[in-house]
Formats: sequence, structure tokens, C-alpha cells
Amino acid sequence: MPFFVGIGLCKDVFCIHKYLRLLMMKYLWIFYFKLKGMIFLKKNELLYRLAQMVITLFGVTLLTFGLTYVSPGDPVEMLLEVGDTIVPKEMIEATRHQLGLDQPFYLQYLRWLSGLAHGDMGLSYSAKMPVADRLLQGLPGTVALAGTSLIMMLLVAVPGGILSALYRNRFWDYLIRGFSFFGVSMPSFWVGLILLYVFGLKLGLCPIAGGVVTWDRMILPAATLAIAMGTKYTRQVRTAVLEELGQDYVVGARARGLPMRSILWRHVLPNACLPLITLLGLTIGWLLGGVAVIEMVFSWPGLGKMAVHAIEMRDYPLVEGFVLWVAVFYMGINLLVDCSYAYLNPHLRKGRTH
Amino acid sequence: MKKRKNILSMVLAVGLAMAFLTGCGGSIQKTADSTTLRVGVTNFADTLEPTENYFGWVVMRYGMGECLAKFDEKMNVQPWLAESWTISDDHMIWTFKIRDGVKFSNGDALTAEAVKASLERAFAKSKRAATFFKYNEIRAEGQSLIIKTEKPEPNMPGFLADPLFLIVDTAAEKDHNFAKEGPICTGPYVCKSFVKDKAVMIRNEYYWDGQVPYQLVEIPSIDDPNTRAMALQSGEIDMAVNIAAGDIGLFQNADKYHIDKISSLRTVLARINQNGVLGDPKVRAAFIAACDRKTYNEVLLKGTFIEGKAPVPPSMDYGFDQLKDPNSYNLERAKQLLAEAGWQDTDGDGILDKDGKPLSVDFVVYNSRAELPLYAEACQSDEKKIGIDVKIKAVDYNLIDKMGINGDYDLLISNITTANTGDPEIFLNWYWRTNKNGDNPQNGSGYSNPALDAKFAELSSEFDREKRRQLMIAIQQIIMDDGAAIFFGYPETNIVSSTAITGATMYPSDYYWVTSKIKPVR
Repeated sequence: MPFFVGIGLCKDVFCIHKYLRLLMMKYLWIFYFKLKGMIFLKKNELLYRLAQMVITLFGVTLLTFGLTYVSPGDPVEMLLEVGDTIVPKEMIEATRHQLGLDQPFYLQYLRWLSGLAHGDMGLSYSAKMPVADRLLQGLPGTVALAGTSLIMMLLVAVPGGILSALYRNRFWDYLIRGFSFFGVSMPSFWVGLILLYVFGLKLGLCPIAGGVVTWDRMILPAATLAIAMGTKYTRQVRTAVLEELGQDYVVGARARGLPMRSILWRHVLPNACLPLITLLGLTIGWLLGGVAVIEMVFSWPGLGKMAVHAIEMRDYPLVEGFVLWVAVFYMGINLLVDCSYAYLNPHLRKGRTH
Repeated sequence: MKKRKNILSMVLAVGLAMAFLTGCGGSIQKTADSTTLRVGVTNFADTLEPTENYFGWVVMRYGMGECLAKFDEKMNVQPWLAESWTISDDHMIWTFKIRDGVKFSNGDALTAEAVKASLERAFAKSKRAATFFKYNEIRAEGQSLIIKTEKPEPNMPGFLADPLFLIVDTAAEKDHNFAKEGPICTGPYVCKSFVKDKAVMIRNEYYWDGQVPYQLVEIPSIDDPNTRAMALQSGEIDMAVNIAAGDIGLFQNADKYHIDKISSLRTVLARINQNGVLGDPKVRAAFIAACDRKTYNEVLLKGTFIEGKAPVPPSMDYGFDQLKDPNSYNLERAKQLLAEAGWQDTDGDGILDKDGKPLSVDFVVYNSRAELPLYAEACQSDEKKIGIDVKIKAVDYNLIDKMGINGDYDLLISNITTANTGDPEIFLNWYWRTNKNGDNPQNGSGYSNPALDAKFAELSSEFDREKRRQLMIAIQQIIMDDGAAIFFGYPETNIVSSTAITGATMYPSDYYWVTSKIKPVR
């Protein structure tokens, strides 16, 4: 427990910040060197990964374009019949021509691709604004919600999971597992509505109508997401910690008389982190794609709601732009996750013997 | 050390909890406020450019835009920015007298010249404009606006009441982004900020039609109906547009809420193909008479729909109450009619047959509107009672149009707007005027009645309002007598408002939500 030893050494609570600063600098320093070493070693691999990303992106966009294209539904009719009015055929044809939707599939895709190469993601049919602008509108809400809910989730799931593992098959374990079972079983839109009902309507603590990104409006949707994810993660943390606790080195360390705390913090947890980080990477990718159901319930201005609407309207450019964003982030984050393995687990570093 | 840690963690926990609670408690306003109006809606528009898609609807709904004419509670056209209008004897030239003393929200006067520029802008920017009417010339003379049309347009004021033609100050466009900042119009409120999820309006200081009651109007878009109802219950919004059927019970307390509901301009109907087995008028009449439409609407759809009978819904002034449905619900009569038509159950399987063929029909539905499969299934079970086998075919919404034109159905359900310009002529023509060599492709049912076509011909050149109305009533009666379609019901729309405000009214046309008539109760 270096942190609290440090506090002890300082003999004065007000020294904490000095200690923290030292600690931070030390770790930053180490991190910098490790990162440098790692990137140096994996330069070729990094390039390879980037090339892979580009190919995947190409495939993903082509697939999305194709799927939206073949799915029944005509963007022009969707667009013109929003008002449920009677629209003459000539009007439909004229609009189709105007949007370039009368061209063959491959031409439409190539046109979009060449636009993208010029940094232009096109114009959304339904929003009547550049796709990039529309994405940017939803971005702050999505990023803020993803970040907050992730932090809230970790604050609950990590201590919960560890506690549950340490007290395996005892009161705390049963309690926590009970809760997590309960949480996993509840659909999140329902949890959201219940939270709104209790904290918004009955207690009057939080606003119900959303629409803008503010802290007070973010708490309930973030909590809803945190409940949905946290209950799952608690179980994952528990499993990971349990697995590590059963390893020989733990037995060895205990035999040598190391205190349980020290084994847990310095050996078990860092090792248990690895599988969790993979999961976390996936979760972040998922969150950054927007969470349509939650956004709908809390009228939160995010990408998920926008994407659902874009698909409903067969708004190809907007769907493509969205998919591109999600794919880039998913892959980017997974790349980071892979890099972090090399940092966290020296075994995985190529060309280094341990 | 351990103690310190405990204290530290406790302080942290308490601090965190405080931060959450204070963060939460901050900005919620629970009491009605006489300077701010808050309206919960669902918004589909991403920008406020009135000529893009149907975004003009939102410009008008939010109290910014106004047209030359408007629709009243019975969908009749009334003067708005034009104080009166006349039509020349040859029916080709309309003259609108623009109201004096009206100003745009930037203080500029509304002249006939400005109206001309605005209408021309709509035609230049939107292909949809020409679907209403085509003009040879628009001219401004003083405060008179003269429109020469390509062909006679009896419903011109109704066309100009469409939000696509709301009047904007085109001169202001060069230093004002209409799409992002909202157009400069003549309505009681002006856009302060707008994103799809929330709009904020402020008072138009130059408004022409009396005092504007609120300083500020906040309009969050709350897509989830449950959330919208909760926001109204908690007092966070003063009024909500379209509370769901299941939630309307929460607002029955008349001391706290006012519910204004009305049938919308839509009709749910099933077209009937006359080329198949339903070509026999007796079978058709039996089929319609077996549908217990009262139960469908009041029980199955919990009263969110009003019982159907005629093509044009009761919210419009086209004789709904005087029209007689010859095929109202009557199982005995239905069975009788089928027997007269020669259908009998010879093999005892519960389904009638004739010449060895069972009495079976295909009912085509699409699922994107929740009520449609419900109607179809209810109809299916009712028809079974009189020995008709109904096969429901669910298809994607996008196929409906083609199937309708090609006549690939026995019955085909639709939920359709009947008269968004205040006049149901187009709608009535669309499905039931005889399709001669493809000149009316939407009528793919094979239905044809010369008497009806004669009425349509008369209607197309009739300019007198009352005579038009009588003609359309007669047309509806013919359609009903012929059993040309089943009219299942008319959806209901509502505005629920807190009793702290007054004047919130739902109009059939769905264009007027925020108006200067909505005021705080002092």
C-alpha cells in the first residue's frame, strides 16, 4: 500500500498533495519510457494495424451502404411522406434525381467515397445539413454520457466485485451477487423510467425533460447505464479476481507471509485487470455509438437517437457517417487496449524475454 | 493510519453524495411562471429552414411563422396575414389584400412586395411548392398581392395556409442564417436558440396581433411518451402535445389539467379490390357490416381512435353527422347478404363456399403503425363469425404504394391524411375516381361509378364554398353506399395543459401549437 505508507511518512495530512505529485511524476515517467519502448518495438506492427483498420473501414462502409440499399424502403418516399400527405409521382422522381438516388449502387457508393476522400461526408437528406455537423451535434452528449456512466460504473463494479470475490460464498458475496442478478435482469429503459419516476417525479430531485447537456440532466441516464453495465461488470471483476486468487503465486506469497492486502493490491489486481480492459474497450466503443434506448427515455441529445432516426429514414449519408465514426472509435480504442496489454503484461511484448 | 483512511473515505462519500444532490436540485422549476412557457413536444426538424422537407411545420408550431391564411377548429380557411381575398370571374387570378400594420420580428413592415418575395423563395427552394399550384405571375400592387395561376385553383387560400408558404423576410436572409437561427417571420415568438432536442423562443416585440403573453418559451423535444407525461405531471412543462392513450388517465383531474382532444385529419381505411371475390356488392356489404368498428376503436384501441364511418373525419365540416352508413355493424344482415349471394358452408368447415371455392380474401397490412395490424386482426376474427376466411399479409410499408396501384390485394389498409390543405378533393379523387387507362393510378381497385365521376367533374370546376361542401358530402355518400372501402377509424390527437395556463388548443391541422392565445392564468 504505497499510497498510505506515503501518507504515514509525510506525518502531516497537508502533505498529501506533495506526495501525490511525486507519485504522479514517477508513474508518468515510467509510463513514458515504457510507451516509448513499446512503440519503438512495435512500429511495424502498428503500421500493419493501421492498414488493417483502413481495409476494415472500407468493408464496413461498403457493407452498410449495401445493406441500407437493399433493405426495403425508399429514402425519397420516406422524406416526402413525413407529413403523410399525398405526394405525386413526378415529385418523387424529381427528388430522387436531385439526391442522386437514381444512379446505380456502385456509383452512389463511389461518389460518397470520393467525397469522403475530400473530407466531405455529404449532406444528410433528413436533417438537411452536412453529416459532419449533425454528428458533431450529437457528439458532446454521447461522450459526456459515456464518460460519466463509465466512471460511475467502475466506482461501483470494481469495489463490489473485489468484495464479492474476497468474501466468496459469504454474506457480502450473496448480497452483491443478488443485486447484480437483479440488475442484469432488468431492461434498462424500464430502469430509466423508474429512476425518472422516483427521482424526477416523486422526489423532484432531477429534471425530467432533457434536451440539453447539463450535469443535473446527466445523472439519471448515466446512473441507468451504470446500473446496466455495473451489474455485469461486478460479476466479471469477481470472476477475474477469483481466478487470480487461485493461482500458485498467491499461495506462494501467502506462504512467505506477505499480508493479504499487499498480495491483493500489488499482484492480484494488476493481473485481474487484463481481461477487464478488453471488456472495457468494447464497452467504450459501444457507448460512443450512442445508446438509443436511454437517449429516447431521457430525451438526451446523443448519437444513438440520431442513428435510429437516420436508419428509419434510409438517410444513407448520415448512416454511413455514423457507422464510420463508430468503426473508427471501436478500432481505435481496441488498438489502445492492445497497446495497453503490452504495457500491463510484459509477457505480451515481442522480442523481450521476461 | 487506518482511522485516517476511514475518515477520508467517509468525507469523500459524503462529498460525492452532496455533489450529486446539489447538482440535481439546481435548476428545476416546479411552479407555473408567468414569464416563461414550457411546452413538451416531439420534434422531427433538424433545422428551421421552412422550405426544407417539412421543417416549416415546426417553424409554425413553435409560434414563429405565419401564413396568409390559417385553418380554424373545423378546418375552414380563415384570414391571417391576408385580411381578405377575391377571385376573378375567370377563376384564374386571385387577389390577396395583405393586412396593414404587420411587422416582421426585425421591425420591417410586411408589404405585398415582401410576401411576393417570400412565396417566390418557397417556389425556388422547394419542389413541393409546385405540387400545390403553379403560377404564371405573382405581382404586388400596394398592399395587394395578385397571383395568376396556370389553371383554376379553387382552394388557393387553403394552399397558402400550408406552412411551406409561411411568410419570411427575404431581405433579412443575407445576414441571418434561417436554418440555424430561425427565419425572420411575423409570429408572436422569435427563435433564440434551436437544436433538434430543444428550442428556446423569445417574445417578438413587433407582434401585430395583441400583446405577446410570455417573455420566453422553452420547447424541449421529449420523444418518449411516458417521459413526456411525467414531465407534465411534475410541472416541469406547462403543456404537452400528444399524451399517449395509456397515460391520459393521469390527467383526468380537471382542477389541475385541461385536456383538449380532437380527431385528426387522418383516416384509417381499407381499400377493397373489386376484381376479386369482393367485386360482388352483396359480399362487400356483408364484409363491411361484419366489422364491429365501435369495439375496435373504443375497446381495442382504448378510445385513441374515433369510430369510423365516412371517408372524411368528423373534425372537418363535411357532413359527418348527416352521412348514413348503409353497412353499419349488423351480423345477421351480413349473413343474410352472403346467403343471398349464393355462399353456403357445404363442407362444414365454418368457411362459406360457392362452386367448390372457399370464401377467402387477402388483407394486406403494414406494421409501422401499431393500430393497423390490430384492426386487421379484429376484422379477421369478426369475418370468421360470418364464414369469411381473412388471410392477413403483413408487408413492408414501402411496398404498399405499388401493391395499391397494381391491385395486388383484396383489402389494403392505409392510414392517410385526408385534407392537409383544408379540402379533401385530392384525397377523394385519389382512391375512387375511375382509373381510365391509368389516368388515376392510385385507384388500383377497379372501382368505377359514373355517377361519382360526374360529381368529381363538377367539383373540379366548382368555386363556391358551400356548393363544394355539398358535392363532397354527396361523393362520400356514394362511396359509402357502394361499399367502396371500409372506414375503420380516425386517430385522435390532444394537447394536455396545466390549469395554470389557458388557451392551449389542439387544431385538426396540427400546425398551431404555440400561439399568442396561450396565456398564464393570473
